[in-house]
Amino acid sequence: MIRAPLRMSFVGGGTDLPDFYHRSPGRVLSATIDKYIYVLVNPTPLVDKFMVKYQKTELVDHPKDIQHTRVRAALLDLDITKSGIEIGSFADLPAKTGLGSSSSFAVALMKGLNAYLGKTLSREEAAEAASRLEIELLGEPIGKQDQYAASFGGFNIFQFNPDDSVDVESILLDYKKKLEFEDHILLFYTGITRPASSVLSDQKSKIDKNFETYIQMADSVFEFNERLLAGDIKGIAKMLHEGWARKKSLSSSAPNMLVDEIYNAGLGAGAWGGKILGAGGGGCVMFIAPPPAQGKIRERMQTFFKEHELPEGRELPIHFTHTGTDILLNNHYQNGF
Amino acid sequence: MEEYIKQFLARTDESIHNLPIKEIAKAFNVLQAVYERDGRIYVFGNGGSLAMATHWVSDFNKTVFSHHLGKQVKRFQAIRLPTTESELTAWANDEGFDMVFLGPLQNYMREGDAIIAISSSGNSVNILKAVEYAKSCEVPVIGVSGFDGGKLNELADVKIFVPTEKGRYGIVEGVHGVILHLMTEYFKDYFNHVMERRGRAD
Repeated sequence: MIRAPLRMSFVGGGTDLPDFYHRSPGRVLSATIDKYIYVLVNPTPLVDKFMVKYQKTELVDHPKDIQHTRVRAALLDLDITKSGIEIGSFADLPAKTGLGSSSSFAVALMKGLNAYLGKTLSREEAAEAASRLEIELLGEPIGKQDQYAASFGGFNIFQFNPDDSVDVESILLDYKKKLEFEDHILLFYTGITRPASSVLSDQKSKIDKNFETYIQMADSVFEFNERLLAGDIKGIAKMLHEGWARKKSLSSSAPNMLVDEIYNAGLGAGAWGGKILGAGGGGCVMFIAPPPAQGKIRERMQTFFKEHELPEGRELPIHFTHTGTDILLNNHYQNGF
Repeated sequence: MEEYIKQFLARTDESIHNLPIKEIAKAFNVLQAVYERDGRIYVFGNGGSLAMATHWVSDFNKTVFSHHLGKQVKRFQAIRLPTTESELTAWANDEGFDMVFLGPLQNYMREGDAIIAISSSGNSVNILKAVEYAKSCEVPVIGVSGFDGGKLNELADVKIFVPTEKGRYGIVEGVHGVILHLMTEYFKDYFNHVMERRGRAD
Protein backbone atom coordinates (compact mmCIF):
# COMPACT_ATOMS: atom_id res chain seq x y z
CA MET A 1 0.00 0.00 0.00
CA ILE A 2 1.46 3.30 -1.11
CA ARG A 3 0.48 6.79 -0.05
CA ALA A 4 1.27 9.91 -2.09
CA PRO A 5 0.57 13.48 -0.95
CA LEU A 6 -1.01 16.20 -3.06
CA ARG A 7 0.79 19.50 -3.42
CA MET A 8 0.36 23.23 -3.60
CA SER A 9 2.54 24.91 -6.16
CA PHE A 10 3.45 28.50 -5.32
CA VAL A 11 5.78 29.91 -7.96
CA GLY A 12 7.50 28.85 -11.15
CA GLY A 13 4.78 26.57 -12.54
CA GLY A 14 5.20 26.23 -16.31
CA THR A 15 8.98 26.55 -16.21
CA ASP A 16 9.10 22.78 -15.62
CA LEU A 17 8.10 22.19 -19.24
CA PRO A 18 10.97 20.79 -21.34
CA ASP A 19 10.42 23.43 -24.05
CA PHE A 20 11.54 25.95 -21.48
CA TYR A 21 14.06 24.18 -19.28
CA HIS A 22 15.99 22.75 -22.23
CA ARG A 23 16.91 26.36 -22.99
CA SER A 24 17.15 27.81 -19.47
CA PRO A 25 16.82 26.20 -16.02
CA GLY A 26 13.22 25.96 -14.80
CA ARG A 27 12.38 26.29 -11.11
CA VAL A 28 9.31 25.54 -9.05
CA LEU A 29 8.67 26.07 -5.35
CA SER A 30 5.94 23.91 -3.88
CA ALA A 31 4.80 22.17 -0.71
CA THR A 32 2.93 18.96 -0.06
CA ILE A 33 -0.29 18.93 1.98
CA ASP A 34 -2.10 16.46 4.20
CA LYS A 35 -4.41 15.21 1.45
CA TYR A 36 -3.42 11.92 -0.08
CA ILE A 37 -3.87 9.35 -2.79
CA TYR A 38 -3.51 5.69 -1.92
CA VAL A 39 -2.64 2.93 -4.33
CA LEU A 40 -2.97 -0.71 -3.44
CA VAL A 41 -1.30 -3.44 -5.46
CA ASN A 42 -2.33 -6.96 -4.57
CA PRO A 43 -1.66 -10.40 -6.06
CA THR A 44 -4.83 -12.43 -6.72
CA PRO A 45 -3.77 -16.07 -7.15
CA LEU A 46 -7.28 -17.40 -7.83
CA VAL A 47 -8.29 -14.73 -10.33
CA ASP A 48 -6.35 -15.02 -13.62
CA LYS A 49 -7.15 -11.45 -14.60
CA PHE A 50 -6.03 -7.91 -14.31
CA MET A 51 -8.32 -5.99 -12.01
CA VAL A 52 -8.28 -2.20 -11.71
CA LYS A 53 -10.47 -0.56 -9.11
CA TYR A 54 -11.15 3.16 -9.01
CA GLN A 55 -14.50 4.87 -9.64
CA LYS A 56 -14.99 1.95 -11.99
CA THR A 57 -13.92 -1.65 -11.70
CA GLU A 58 -12.20 -3.19 -14.68
CA LEU A 59 -11.58 -6.91 -15.10
CA VAL A 60 -9.57 -7.83 -18.19
CA ASP A 61 -7.39 -10.63 -19.55
CA HIS A 62 -4.49 -8.53 -20.74
CA PRO A 63 -3.16 -5.13 -19.61
CA LYS A 64 -3.61 -3.73 -23.13
CA ASP A 65 -7.37 -3.97 -22.60
CA ILE A 66 -7.33 -1.73 -19.50
CA GLN A 67 -9.07 1.60 -20.01
CA HIS A 68 -7.33 3.42 -17.18
CA THR A 69 -4.56 5.04 -19.21
CA ARG A 70 -1.90 5.30 -16.50
CA VAL A 71 -2.37 1.77 -15.20
CA ARG A 72 -2.41 0.33 -18.72
CA ALA A 73 0.77 2.16 -19.78
CA ALA A 74 2.58 1.33 -16.53
CA LEU A 75 1.79 -2.39 -16.65
CA LEU A 76 2.78 -2.67 -20.30
CA ASP A 77 5.97 -0.68 -19.75
CA LEU A 78 7.02 -2.75 -16.75
CA ASP A 79 6.05 -5.86 -18.68
CA ILE A 80 3.66 -7.07 -16.00
CA THR A 81 1.72 -9.39 -18.28
CA LYS A 82 1.24 -12.27 -15.88
CA SER A 83 -2.36 -12.13 -14.70
CA GLY A 84 -3.46 -12.32 -11.08
CA ILE A 85 -2.97 -8.76 -9.91
CA GLU A 86 -5.37 -6.11 -8.71
CA ILE A 87 -4.63 -2.43 -8.48
CA GLY A 88 -6.92 -0.13 -6.55
CA SER A 89 -6.83 3.55 -5.81
CA PHE A 90 -8.39 5.65 -3.06
CA ALA A 91 -8.23 9.42 -2.74
CA ASP A 92 -9.02 12.03 -0.12
CA LEU A 93 -10.07 14.42 -2.88
CA PRO A 94 -11.63 14.07 -6.32
CA ALA A 95 -9.56 14.52 -9.50
CA LYS A 96 -8.88 17.91 -11.09
CA THR A 97 -8.59 19.96 -7.92
CA GLY A 98 -5.39 21.55 -9.23
CA LEU A 99 -3.42 19.93 -6.42
CA GLY A 100 -1.41 17.65 -8.68
CA SER A 101 -3.41 14.51 -7.98
CA SER A 102 -2.83 12.73 -11.29
CA SER A 103 0.93 12.90 -10.85
CA SER A 104 0.67 11.87 -7.19
CA PHE A 105 -1.22 8.84 -8.43
CA ALA A 106 1.46 8.16 -11.04
CA VAL A 107 4.25 8.26 -8.42
CA ALA A 108 2.34 5.96 -6.07
CA LEU A 109 1.57 3.58 -8.93
CA MET A 110 5.18 3.37 -10.13
CA LYS A 111 6.46 2.91 -6.60
CA GLY A 112 3.86 0.23 -5.94
CA LEU A 113 4.33 -1.73 -9.16
CA ASN A 114 8.08 -1.71 -8.72
CA ALA A 115 7.69 -2.95 -5.14
CA TYR A 116 5.40 -5.68 -6.53
CA LEU A 117 8.34 -6.67 -8.74
CA GLY A 118 10.63 -6.60 -5.70
CA LYS A 119 12.33 -3.33 -6.57
CA THR A 120 12.73 -0.34 -4.25
CA LEU A 121 12.74 3.02 -6.00
CA SER A 122 14.51 6.04 -4.54
CA ARG A 123 12.52 9.28 -4.39
CA GLU A 124 14.27 10.50 -7.50
CA GLU A 125 13.71 7.24 -9.36
CA ALA A 126 10.02 7.25 -8.45
CA ALA A 127 9.64 10.86 -9.65
CA GLU A 128 11.43 10.07 -12.89
CA ALA A 129 9.45 6.87 -13.47
CA ALA A 130 6.18 8.75 -13.00
CA SER A 131 7.33 11.61 -15.23
CA ARG A 132 8.31 9.16 -17.93
CA LEU A 133 4.94 7.45 -17.64
CA GLU A 134 2.94 10.64 -17.95
CA ILE A 135 5.06 12.66 -20.35
CA GLU A 136 6.81 10.12 -22.59
CA LEU A 137 4.49 7.14 -22.58
CA LEU A 138 1.18 9.00 -22.39
CA GLY A 139 2.31 12.14 -24.20
CA GLU A 140 0.76 14.52 -21.73
CA PRO A 141 1.89 18.12 -22.23
CA ILE A 142 2.89 18.55 -18.58
CA GLY A 143 6.12 19.13 -16.71
CA LYS A 144 7.84 17.17 -13.95
CA GLN A 145 7.16 19.41 -10.96
CA ASP A 146 4.20 17.44 -9.61
CA GLN A 147 5.90 14.07 -9.77
CA TYR A 148 8.91 15.46 -7.91
CA ALA A 149 6.75 17.28 -5.35
CA ALA A 150 4.74 14.14 -4.58
CA SER A 151 7.74 11.85 -4.45
CA PHE A 152 9.96 14.01 -2.22
CA GLY A 153 7.38 15.70 0.00
CA GLY A 154 7.72 18.90 2.04
CA PHE A 155 8.65 22.42 1.00
CA ASN A 156 11.07 22.20 -1.90
CA ILE A 157 12.67 24.10 -4.72
CA PHE A 158 13.03 21.93 -7.80
CA GLN A 159 15.41 23.05 -10.48
CA PHE A 160 14.91 21.49 -13.90
CA ASN A 161 18.22 21.61 -15.76
CA PRO A 162 18.74 21.71 -19.54
CA ASP A 163 20.36 18.24 -19.40
CA ASP A 164 17.09 16.87 -17.92
CA SER A 165 18.55 16.41 -14.45
CA VAL A 166 16.65 17.84 -11.49
CA ASP A 167 18.14 19.45 -8.38
CA VAL A 168 16.06 19.21 -5.23
CA GLU A 169 16.59 21.74 -2.47
CA SER A 170 14.55 21.18 0.62
CA ILE A 171 13.46 24.45 2.25
CA LEU A 172 14.41 24.53 5.90
CA LEU A 173 11.39 26.30 7.33
CA ASP A 174 11.03 26.19 11.10
CA TYR A 175 7.79 25.16 12.76
CA LYS A 176 6.76 28.66 13.80
CA LYS A 177 7.03 30.09 10.32
CA LYS A 178 5.38 27.04 8.80
CA LEU A 179 2.39 27.22 11.16
CA GLU A 180 2.16 30.99 10.77
CA PHE A 181 2.04 30.53 6.99
CA GLU A 182 -0.65 27.85 7.36
CA ASP A 183 -2.69 30.25 9.49
CA HIS A 184 -2.76 32.72 6.61
CA ILE A 185 -3.86 30.24 3.96
CA LEU A 186 -7.45 29.71 2.95
CA LEU A 187 -8.13 27.08 0.34
CA PHE A 188 -11.46 26.72 -1.47
CA TYR A 189 -12.49 23.98 -3.83
CA THR A 190 -14.60 25.60 -6.53
CA GLY A 191 -16.21 22.50 -8.03
CA ILE A 192 -15.29 23.80 -11.48
CA THR A 193 -13.13 21.32 -13.38
CA ARG A 194 -11.13 21.44 -16.56
CA PRO A 195 -8.20 19.13 -17.35
CA ALA A 196 -4.82 20.76 -16.83
CA SER A 197 -3.51 19.61 -20.19
CA SER A 198 -6.02 21.77 -22.11
CA VAL A 199 -4.52 24.90 -20.61
CA LEU A 200 -0.95 23.65 -20.60
CA SER A 201 -0.88 22.50 -24.22
CA ASP A 202 -1.77 26.03 -25.11
CA GLN A 203 0.84 27.46 -22.75
CA LYS A 204 3.54 25.35 -24.38
CA SER A 205 3.29 27.18 -27.66
CA LYS A 206 3.66 30.45 -25.80
CA ILE A 207 7.10 29.76 -24.38
CA ASP A 208 8.91 31.12 -27.43
CA LYS A 209 6.93 34.33 -27.43
CA ASN A 210 7.23 34.90 -23.69
CA PHE A 211 10.66 33.51 -23.01
CA GLU A 212 11.73 36.44 -20.81
CA THR A 213 8.58 36.13 -18.71
CA TYR A 214 9.36 32.46 -18.13
CA ILE A 215 12.87 33.34 -17.01
CA GLN A 216 11.37 35.81 -14.54
CA MET A 217 8.99 33.11 -13.32
CA ALA A 218 11.86 30.70 -12.74
CA ASP A 219 13.86 33.39 -10.93
CA SER A 220 10.92 34.45 -8.76
CA VAL A 221 11.44 31.22 -6.80
CA PHE A 222 14.44 32.79 -5.07
CA GLU A 223 12.54 35.86 -3.91
CA PHE A 224 9.64 33.72 -2.74
CA ASN A 225 12.00 31.51 -0.77
CA GLU A 226 13.64 34.51 0.90
CA ARG A 227 10.27 35.97 1.88
CA LEU A 228 9.08 32.59 3.13
CA LEU A 229 12.15 32.13 5.33
CA ALA A 230 11.82 35.71 6.59
CA GLY A 231 8.15 35.18 7.44
CA ASP A 232 7.08 37.98 5.06
CA ILE A 233 3.64 36.54 4.33
CA LYS A 234 2.24 39.78 2.94
CA GLY A 235 5.14 39.93 0.49
CA ILE A 236 4.44 36.34 -0.53
CA ALA A 237 0.79 37.17 -1.14
CA LYS A 238 1.78 40.09 -3.34
CA MET A 239 4.09 37.86 -5.37
CA LEU A 240 1.34 35.30 -5.88
CA HIS A 241 -1.06 38.01 -6.97
CA GLU A 242 1.41 39.27 -9.56
CA GLY A 243 2.12 35.71 -10.62
CA TRP A 244 -1.55 35.05 -11.26
CA ALA A 245 -1.82 38.17 -13.39
CA ARG A 246 1.23 37.03 -15.34
CA LYS A 247 -0.16 33.55 -15.81
CA LYS A 248 -3.38 34.93 -17.22
CA SER A 249 -1.41 36.97 -19.73
CA LEU A 250 0.39 33.80 -20.92
CA SER A 251 -2.74 31.99 -21.94
CA SER A 252 -4.27 33.06 -25.22
CA SER A 253 -7.64 31.46 -24.54
CA ALA A 254 -9.76 33.38 -22.07
CA PRO A 255 -9.19 32.25 -18.48
CA ASN A 256 -12.18 30.78 -16.78
CA MET A 257 -14.11 33.95 -15.96
CA LEU A 258 -15.92 32.40 -13.05
CA VAL A 259 -12.65 31.39 -11.38
CA ASP A 260 -11.32 34.88 -11.90
CA GLU A 261 -14.48 36.26 -10.31
CA ILE A 262 -14.03 34.00 -7.29
CA TYR A 263 -10.47 35.22 -6.95
CA ASN A 264 -11.51 38.86 -7.16
CA ALA A 265 -14.32 38.31 -4.65
CA GLY A 266 -11.79 36.94 -2.15
CA LEU A 267 -9.52 39.92 -2.69
CA GLY A 268 -12.50 42.22 -2.22
CA ALA A 269 -13.23 40.54 1.10
CA GLY A 270 -9.76 41.24 2.44
CA ALA A 271 -7.32 38.66 1.06
CA TRP A 272 -3.78 39.94 0.45
CA GLY A 273 -3.34 37.76 -2.61
CA GLY A 274 -3.57 34.20 -3.78
CA LYS A 275 -3.65 32.02 -6.82
CA ILE A 276 -5.66 29.54 -8.77
CA LEU A 277 -4.10 26.15 -8.22
CA GLY A 278 -3.42 23.93 -11.17
CA ALA A 279 -3.34 25.15 -14.73
CA GLY A 280 -5.78 27.98 -14.27
CA GLY A 281 -8.89 26.27 -15.50
CA GLY A 282 -10.68 25.68 -12.21
CA GLY A 283 -10.05 23.41 -9.27
CA CYS A 284 -9.03 25.24 -6.11
CA VAL A 285 -8.56 28.88 -5.30
CA MET A 286 -6.06 29.69 -2.57
CA PHE A 287 -5.99 32.96 -0.67
CA ILE A 288 -3.42 34.39 1.65
CA ALA A 289 -5.23 36.51 4.17
CA PRO A 290 -4.67 37.87 7.66
CA PRO A 291 -6.56 35.68 10.17
CA PRO A 292 -8.97 38.49 11.22
CA ALA A 293 -10.15 38.86 7.61
CA GLN A 294 -10.73 35.15 7.10
CA GLY A 295 -14.26 35.04 8.51
CA LYS A 296 -15.41 37.60 5.99
CA ILE A 297 -13.72 35.76 3.11
CA ARG A 298 -15.40 32.50 4.15
CA GLU A 299 -18.80 34.19 4.18
CA ARG A 300 -18.13 35.81 0.82
CA MET A 301 -17.18 32.47 -0.71
CA GLN A 302 -20.22 30.73 0.70
CA THR A 303 -22.47 33.35 -0.80
CA PHE A 304 -20.59 33.23 -4.08
CA PHE A 305 -20.89 29.43 -4.38
CA LYS A 306 -24.61 29.69 -3.62
CA GLU A 307 -25.23 32.51 -6.08
CA HIS A 308 -23.37 30.77 -8.87
CA GLU A 309 -24.84 27.35 -8.19
CA LEU A 310 -21.57 25.66 -7.31
CA PRO A 311 -22.84 23.14 -4.74
CA GLU A 312 -19.46 21.44 -4.50
CA GLY A 313 -17.72 24.71 -3.70
CA ARG A 314 -16.42 24.70 -0.14
CA GLU A 315 -13.45 25.37 2.07
CA LEU A 316 -10.73 22.76 2.27
CA PRO A 317 -8.58 23.14 5.40
CA ILE A 318 -5.02 21.90 4.89
CA HIS A 319 -1.75 21.44 6.72
CA PHE A 320 1.68 21.23 5.15
CA THR A 321 3.56 17.96 5.33
CA HIS A 322 7.15 16.79 5.09
CA THR A 323 6.92 13.24 3.88
CA GLY A 324 6.55 12.24 0.25
CA THR A 325 5.32 9.09 -1.44
CA ASP A 326 5.78 6.20 0.96
CA ILE A 327 5.16 2.51 1.03
CA LEU A 328 3.02 2.19 4.16
CA LEU A 329 2.73 -1.55 4.00
CA ASN A 330 4.76 -4.03 2.03
CA ASN A 331 3.45 -7.49 2.61
CA HIS A 332 5.75 -9.41 0.35
CA TYR A 333 6.10 -12.81 1.98
CA GLN A 334 8.34 -15.21 0.21
CA ASN A 335 8.91 -18.95 0.45
CA GLY A 336 5.94 -19.44 2.75
CA PHE A 337 7.50 -17.95 5.89
CA MET B 1 45.01 23.86 35.29
CA GLU B 2 42.81 26.78 34.28
CA GLU B 3 44.70 27.05 31.03
CA TYR B 4 43.92 23.39 30.28
CA ILE B 5 40.25 23.94 30.98
CA LYS B 6 40.19 27.05 28.82
CA GLN B 7 41.81 25.16 25.96
CA PHE B 8 39.30 22.35 26.14
CA LEU B 9 36.39 24.78 26.22
CA ALA B 10 37.88 26.77 23.36
CA ARG B 11 38.10 23.62 21.25
CA THR B 12 34.54 22.71 22.12
CA ASP B 13 33.44 26.26 21.32
CA GLU B 14 35.13 26.11 17.97
CA SER B 15 33.47 22.79 17.12
CA ILE B 16 30.07 24.13 18.07
CA HIS B 17 30.72 27.28 16.09
CA ASN B 18 31.52 25.26 12.96
CA LEU B 19 28.53 22.95 13.12
CA PRO B 20 26.71 22.39 9.81
CA ILE B 21 23.49 24.18 10.71
CA LYS B 22 21.78 23.37 7.42
CA GLU B 23 22.40 19.67 7.89
CA ILE B 24 20.94 19.76 11.39
CA ALA B 25 17.89 21.53 9.97
CA LYS B 26 17.63 18.81 7.31
CA ALA B 27 17.67 16.24 10.10
CA PHE B 28 14.63 17.98 11.65
CA ASN B 29 12.81 17.63 8.32
CA VAL B 30 13.71 13.93 8.12
CA LEU B 31 12.47 13.29 11.66
CA GLN B 32 9.26 15.20 11.01
CA ALA B 33 8.65 13.21 7.82
CA VAL B 34 9.19 9.91 9.64
CA TYR B 35 6.65 10.98 12.27
CA GLU B 36 4.07 11.79 9.61
CA ARG B 37 4.37 8.39 7.99
CA ASP B 38 4.35 6.57 11.32
CA GLY B 39 7.88 5.34 10.79
CA ARG B 40 10.51 4.54 13.36
CA ILE B 41 13.92 5.98 14.02
CA TYR B 42 16.73 3.54 14.77
CA VAL B 43 19.73 5.01 16.52
CA PHE B 44 23.02 3.36 17.36
CA GLY B 45 26.71 3.81 18.04
CA ASN B 46 29.65 2.19 19.87
CA GLY B 47 30.69 2.83 23.47
CA GLY B 48 29.89 6.39 24.52
CA SER B 49 27.91 6.87 21.33
CA LEU B 50 25.68 3.94 22.28
CA ALA B 51 25.12 5.55 25.67
CA MET B 52 24.11 8.76 23.90
CA ALA B 53 21.81 6.87 21.59
CA THR B 54 20.12 5.34 24.64
CA HIS B 55 19.82 8.71 26.35
CA TRP B 56 18.42 10.34 23.22
CA VAL B 57 15.76 7.68 22.75
CA SER B 58 14.29 8.32 26.19
CA ASP B 59 14.33 12.09 25.64
CA PHE B 60 12.92 11.95 22.16
CA ASN B 61 10.18 9.47 22.94
CA LYS B 62 9.12 11.04 26.23
CA THR B 63 10.58 14.47 26.97
CA VAL B 64 9.29 15.90 23.68
CA PHE B 65 5.76 15.13 24.85
CA SER B 66 6.31 15.46 28.58
CA HIS B 67 3.89 18.33 29.13
CA HIS B 68 1.07 16.42 27.48
CA LEU B 69 1.62 12.80 28.42
CA GLY B 70 -1.98 12.38 29.54
CA LYS B 71 -3.30 13.21 26.10
CA GLN B 72 -3.70 10.55 23.45
CA VAL B 73 -1.37 11.88 20.82
CA LYS B 74 0.89 10.13 18.42
CA ARG B 75 4.44 10.10 19.76
CA PHE B 76 7.82 9.49 18.20
CA GLN B 77 9.05 5.94 17.95
CA ALA B 78 12.80 6.09 18.42
CA ILE B 79 14.50 2.79 19.12
CA ARG B 80 18.09 2.14 20.15
CA LEU B 81 19.81 -0.79 18.50
CA PRO B 82 20.42 -3.40 19.68
CA THR B 83 17.36 -3.14 21.86
CA THR B 84 18.68 -5.54 24.52
CA GLU B 85 22.07 -6.67 25.82
CA SER B 86 21.12 -10.22 24.96
CA GLU B 87 20.71 -9.28 21.33
CA LEU B 88 23.99 -7.38 21.39
CA THR B 89 25.97 -10.28 22.80
CA ALA B 90 24.18 -12.89 20.71
CA TRP B 91 25.11 -11.14 17.49
CA ALA B 92 28.62 -10.30 18.67
CA ASN B 93 29.35 -13.79 19.94
CA ASP B 94 27.75 -15.78 17.15
CA GLU B 95 28.19 -13.60 14.09
CA GLY B 96 30.91 -11.16 15.03
CA PHE B 97 30.97 -7.59 16.25
CA ASP B 98 30.50 -6.24 12.74
CA MET B 99 26.93 -7.52 12.86
CA VAL B 100 25.69 -6.02 16.14
CA PHE B 101 23.75 -3.18 14.44
CA LEU B 102 23.06 -4.64 11.02
CA GLY B 103 21.67 -7.85 12.48
CA PRO B 104 18.90 -6.24 14.56
CA LEU B 105 18.29 -3.55 11.93
CA GLN B 106 17.41 -6.27 9.44
CA ASN B 107 14.78 -7.52 11.87
CA TYR B 108 13.10 -4.17 12.33
CA MET B 109 13.62 -1.77 9.47
CA ARG B 110 10.76 -0.91 7.07
CA GLU B 111 10.57 1.48 4.13
CA GLY B 112 9.16 4.39 6.14
CA ASP B 113 11.88 4.45 8.82
CA ALA B 114 15.06 6.48 9.27
CA ILE B 115 18.33 5.81 11.04
CA ILE B 116 20.72 7.91 13.07
CA ALA B 117 24.24 6.51 13.11
CA ILE B 118 26.63 8.00 15.66
CA SER B 119 30.35 7.45 15.21
CA SER B 120 33.16 9.80 16.20
CA SER B 121 35.58 8.36 13.64
CA GLY B 122 32.87 7.72 11.10
CA ASN B 123 34.71 4.54 10.21
CA SER B 124 33.42 1.82 12.58
CA VAL B 125 32.74 -1.20 10.43
CA ASN B 126 29.63 -2.29 12.33
CA ILE B 127 28.12 1.19 11.87
CA LEU B 128 28.97 1.32 8.18
CA LYS B 129 27.44 -2.09 7.54
CA ALA B 130 24.13 -0.93 9.00
CA VAL B 131 24.31 2.38 7.12
CA GLU B 132 24.96 0.63 3.81
CA TYR B 133 21.99 -1.64 4.39
CA ALA B 134 19.68 1.31 5.14
CA LYS B 135 20.90 3.08 2.03
CA SER B 136 20.25 0.01 -0.11
CA CYS B 137 16.64 0.13 1.13
CA GLU B 138 16.35 3.89 0.42
CA VAL B 139 15.89 4.59 4.13
CA PRO B 140 17.30 8.05 5.03
CA VAL B 141 20.52 8.06 7.04
CA ILE B 142 21.42 10.83 9.48
CA GLY B 143 25.15 10.48 10.09
CA VAL B 144 26.55 12.04 13.25
CA SER B 145 30.33 11.95 12.99
CA GLY B 146 33.54 13.64 14.18
CA PHE B 147 37.29 13.81 13.35
CA ASP B 148 37.38 13.93 9.54
CA GLY B 149 33.86 12.52 9.13
CA GLY B 150 35.11 9.22 7.77
CA LYS B 151 33.09 6.99 5.51
CA LEU B 152 29.91 7.67 7.50
CA ASN B 153 29.91 11.32 6.47
CA GLU B 154 30.37 10.31 2.84
CA LEU B 155 27.48 7.85 2.92
CA ALA B 156 24.98 9.77 5.05
CA ASP B 157 22.05 11.62 3.47
CA VAL B 158 22.21 14.15 6.29
CA LYS B 159 25.81 14.92 7.20
CA ILE B 160 26.13 16.13 10.78
CA PHE B 161 29.88 16.27 10.98
CA VAL B 162 31.77 17.80 13.92
CA PRO B 163 35.26 18.52 12.59
CA THR B 164 37.90 17.90 15.27
CA GLU B 165 41.41 16.70 15.72
CA LYS B 166 41.63 12.90 15.39
CA GLY B 167 41.23 11.11 18.70
CA ARG B 168 39.53 13.99 20.56
CA TYR B 169 36.58 11.88 21.61
CA GLY B 170 35.72 14.10 24.56
CA ILE B 171 35.05 17.09 22.35
CA VAL B 172 33.24 15.18 19.62
CA GLU B 173 30.98 13.33 22.01
CA GLY B 174 30.23 16.47 24.01
CA VAL B 175 29.14 18.26 20.85
CA HIS B 176 27.18 15.22 19.67
CA GLY B 177 25.32 15.43 22.97
CA VAL B 178 24.46 19.06 22.23
CA ILE B 179 23.16 18.17 18.75
CA LEU B 180 21.02 15.31 20.04
CA HIS B 181 19.57 17.57 22.75
CA LEU B 182 18.94 20.21 20.11
CA MET B 183 16.78 17.72 18.18
CA THR B 184 14.78 16.95 21.29
CA GLU B 185 14.38 20.63 22.25
CA TYR B 186 13.23 21.61 18.76
CA PHE B 187 10.46 19.05 18.68
CA LYS B 188 9.52 19.69 22.30
CA ASP B 189 9.05 23.40 21.55
CA TYR B 190 7.28 22.57 18.29
CA PHE B 191 4.90 20.18 20.00
CA ASN B 192 4.22 22.55 22.91
CA HIS B 193 3.50 25.31 20.40
CA VAL B 194 1.00 23.13 18.54
CA MET B 195 -0.72 22.13 21.78
CA GLU B 196 -0.95 25.75 22.94
CA ARG B 197 -2.53 26.75 19.64
CA ARG B 198 -4.95 23.86 19.92
CA GLY B 199 -5.80 25.00 23.43
CA ARG B 200 -6.51 28.51 22.19
CA ALA B 201 -8.69 27.17 19.37
CA ASP B 202 -10.88 25.09 21.76
